[in-house]
Amino acid sequence: MNRREFLKQMAAVTAMTAAATMFPGILFAEDQNKTLPNDDLTWKKAPCRFCGVGCGLLIGLSGGRAVAVKGDPASPVNKGLCCVKGYHSVMALYGADRLKTAYVRKNGELVPTPIKEALDLVAQKMQETIKTHGKDSVAMYGSGQWTIPDGYVASKLMKGAIGTNNLEANARLCMASAVTGFISTFGIDEPMGCYEDIDHADVFVLWGNNMAEMHPVLFSRILDQRLKRKDVKIIDLATRTTRTSMAADKSILFLPQSDLALANAICYEILRNGWENKSFIEKHCHFKSGKTNIGYGVEDKFAFKDENTDITFDQYKKFLEDYTPEKVEQISGVSAKDIRYLASLYGDPNRKVTSFWCMGMNQHTRGTWINNLVYNIHLLVGKISTPGNSPFSLTGQPSACGTVREVGTLTHKLPHGVVMNEEARKKAAKIWKVPVENIPPKPSLHTVEMFRALDRGEVKFMWIQVTNPMVTIPKLNRYREGAQKAGRFIVVSDVYPTPTTDIADVILPSAMWIEREGMFGNSERRTQHFEKMVDPPGEAMSDTWQIIEVARRMGFQELFPWDEATHIEEIWKEYTQFHAGEKHGMAPYEVLKERPGVMWPFVNGKETKWRFNAETDPAAKDGDPFKFYGKPDGKAWILARPYEPPAEEPDDEYPFWLNTGRVLEHWHTGSMTRRIPVLHKAMPHSYVELNPEDAKELGIRNGENVLLTSRRGKITLPASINERGVPPRGQVFVPFFDENLLINELTLDAFCPISKQPDYKKCAVKVQKALKSES
Amino acid sequence: MRRESSESPQKRIVNTKYRIIFIGICVILMTSAIYIIGESLQQEQQGAELKAPATGDIPSIPVEAGVFRRSEQALTYANAPENNKNPRTLDTFYDLRAYPGAPPVIPHELINEQSYGGKSCLPCHENGGYVPRFNAYAPVTPHPEMINCRQCHVAVKTKDTFKESNWVTIIPPPINQEAMTGSPPPIPHGLQMRENCLACHAGPAAPTEIRTSHPERINCRQCHALNDKPTTAWTRNTSY
Repeated sequence: MNRREFLKQMAAVTAMTAAATMFPGILFAEDQNKTLPNDDLTWKKAPCRFCGVGCGLLIGLSGGRAVAVKGDPASPVNKGLCCVKGYHSVMALYGADRLKTAYVRKNGELVPTPIKEALDLVAQKMQETIKTHGKDSVAMYGSGQWTIPDGYVASKLMKGAIGTNNLEANARLCMASAVTGFISTFGIDEPMGCYEDIDHADVFVLWGNNMAEMHPVLFSRILDQRLKRKDVKIIDLATRTTRTSMAADKSILFLPQSDLALANAICYEILRNGWENKSFIEKHCHFKSGKTNIGYGVEDKFAFKDENTDITFDQYKKFLEDYTPEKVEQISGVSAKDIRYLASLYGDPNRKVTSFWCMGMNQHTRGTWINNLVYNIHLLVGKISTPGNSPFSLTGQPSACGTVREVGTLTHKLPHGVVMNEEARKKAAKIWKVPVENIPPKPSLHTVEMFRALDRGEVKFMWIQVTNPMVTIPKLNRYREGAQKAGRFIVVSDVYPTPTTDIADVILPSAMWIEREGMFGNSERRTQHFEKMVDPPGEAMSDTWQIIEVARRMGFQELFPWDEATHIEEIWKEYTQFHAGEKHGMAPYEVLKERPGVMWPFVNGKETKWRFNAETDPAAKDGDPFKFYGKPDGKAWILARPYEPPAEEPDDEYPFWLNTGRVLEHWHTGSMTRRIPVLHKAMPHSYVELNPEDAKELGIRNGENVLLTSRRGKITLPASINERGVPPRGQVFVPFFDENLLINELTLDAFCPISKQPDYKKCAVKVQKALKSES
Repeated sequence: MRRESSESPQKRIVNTKYRIIFIGICVILMTSAIYIIGESLQQEQQGAELKAPATGDIPSIPVEAGVFRRSEQALTYANAPENNKNPRTLDTFYDLRAYPGAPPVIPHELINEQSYGGKSCLPCHENGGYVPRFNAYAPVTPHPEMINCRQCHVAVKTKDTFKESNWVTIIPPPINQEAMTGSPPPIPHGLQMRENCLACHAGPAAPTEIRTSHPERINCRQCHALNDKPTTAWTRNTSY
């Protein structure tokens, strides 16, 4: 390109940009188009492989390979903009050490084996184990990265065919509290609103959600709105200062766990000022209480069941008296003034408020409670289910909603309803064409308990797909040792070698993402279809087809009769029978293929953007004007949930809080993103963020090695001081993506007794400058 | 004139009465307007005080702190004029630096020989804009809070050297290192004191080669990853 052409292009781009800024939304792909060659590239649509935002991508294909990515301008999610992971996502297909063949452990060594033989062995081992030790001695552990068909055949095999509820997914570690929050407050799962709320809200309150890094495309939509509309405010409520804090209009730091008190204090202030929406509360809400002192699940076989009783509005008000701004200032470290400010934002009838949250609230020993409490705020002021008024629970994985929550690949769930419900079992048995007695009426093992049972020896066979628990399970040392004990048989399906494939007895090579056909479902109830675009390497096979192959070998051919060419379409048709109706109707296969994602409930050819609202949701059409139809009487619950302390707090021996999380450049355990050179170069290894004052006292300088010790393990890693994030004094933060620096050897396996989701955000550690020998 | 003379004295008195009433009403209206405006301004001020971002409470993050600086002007950048007459290029950008990352010299006559910087430099270099005196758009500093400018930025008083030098500069970091066709190029340089992207990459003073086409996308590092140093591949010993 010569200078003249360059300048011409610059002028065109500038003119386009000027035009784009006049319209709301993001509009970005046209810009990118200018730099892309038009010759011989074929572009096909797919949802992004990484986070739960579910950006629409266009994949550039040439010579049988994926060679480029651009944002899909037709996608209402991202309107043509991606993040750095999305733009480089297709490079994750081409790491040099892709698993191309199956491996079977022989005499302690993993030996390359034809995939047919490996599948024979998996089926044979599964059958033998069931025969000798019973149905509940086998388990399957999947993922929110499972496509919808993967999860569906897994559920059908485990619950319908074999007859065990030992089916879990890593989404238990990621959004179980969001689900129990929805179920307890509304009786039905998943957000009532959608991303379009961003275009209407005046105030965004981010509850422990570093959106600038974790949901960057949605965050850009918020920033875009703030530029274009007057008076849009972003409030970052967090335990540490992050990139999100830097972009926010106000950053409020609270002490770990005190979000419970903070949310109650906001409710207290709303009622004290009379800002509540009285008619909304009267028509659409009940006040309830639940059990207290509910424990932390750190002991094996911990059991808990919540019980809710009616309370009066006055009793609720009395309950809130423990949470005056002055009292909560003591618990949370947030000034009473800031608490009143937050309450005034929620309480102002002229402002539309959207709350966003993700792991900060979900990975919490009171995760269900804090979800309930944020709903309480929105319900009290009636700011819900209308454009811009939205309590919005985000997810972390591309199909945590689509597969784990909607298909229900959790021990207590069925594709529609729960195993405890006879009608739900009957419905499943009918669609699956299995005897209803096959489906056990009792939930068995949730994720943490499943790995405990593997350690104890009750589970002897586990098949792990699309997830890397040997990096992500809390208190990792115990569960890694347990998985490697004699008499355990572990099958792992993955695309690259990981610490989890390292301990496997059989490795099955998987076809990933656009190497097969599938669907993902994102955080805003949007289902997105992608077709097979490139061939998988070697003998790699889709997770769906692996399960079908094993099921057939176990004698369940009749339940899995589909043809390889059309099985995804047929599975979709069978699966969507579960959700037929105006509360959860799914779009037909043909519509999914055509559009850049379709939101459910899909009723009479129309997506439902705001549920429970008579104007926008056919299932609520007789609402007045709302109907929370998840509950039998159409009323949502305002649950009085108290502040209770976390499972482990800093003390003299372990004086620091340890918080863990993600970074923008890597996705989860980095097994894909660390193999993308541009992302690895940007973030080559993990680190521990220290507060500068703490570092000074400990004599630690940036980059020097630090020894972190908890009651469960220790790790040496470099210090990061005044870099990306800054924790307050007495707290440290470590990302979990690095398989060479396993922070989960230190974390605690305490969980929310209601959701059974572990708390990765709070445990106690000791921080020391590492001696040379330790570095 | 004729009309005025034709008006009766009585009518004039009536007119005067009307005028007095009219003026009276005006006074009342203005007083109330002043009161209402004053009241609402006061409220706004109170609101502003309440809503002011608590930047003081946020501990500084040198590497990240400036990422969003200037972003409130993103739309101004997006609609800024082209600098076709006298564009800056990367060549002229690096000509002013001893090596990539070195503080640039001051290429123009000094505004005030005695000044340390501050008010002499910032009127043009804090926000940029066209400077008729030099017939150029002023480059924007990424670190306007550091006002002792001439601590690092020095004038060029002579083209001569005292003695020849064997100094060899390094090659500037390459641009357009996209990993794939059409993917966002990574950031090839370190960010110390240059963490505010818009300062150098947006507006008419930005060198044309590195001027962004989309300054309104202010979360730059959402798409542009920092690839400023050589990194070795991470190690994993796969035995199979």
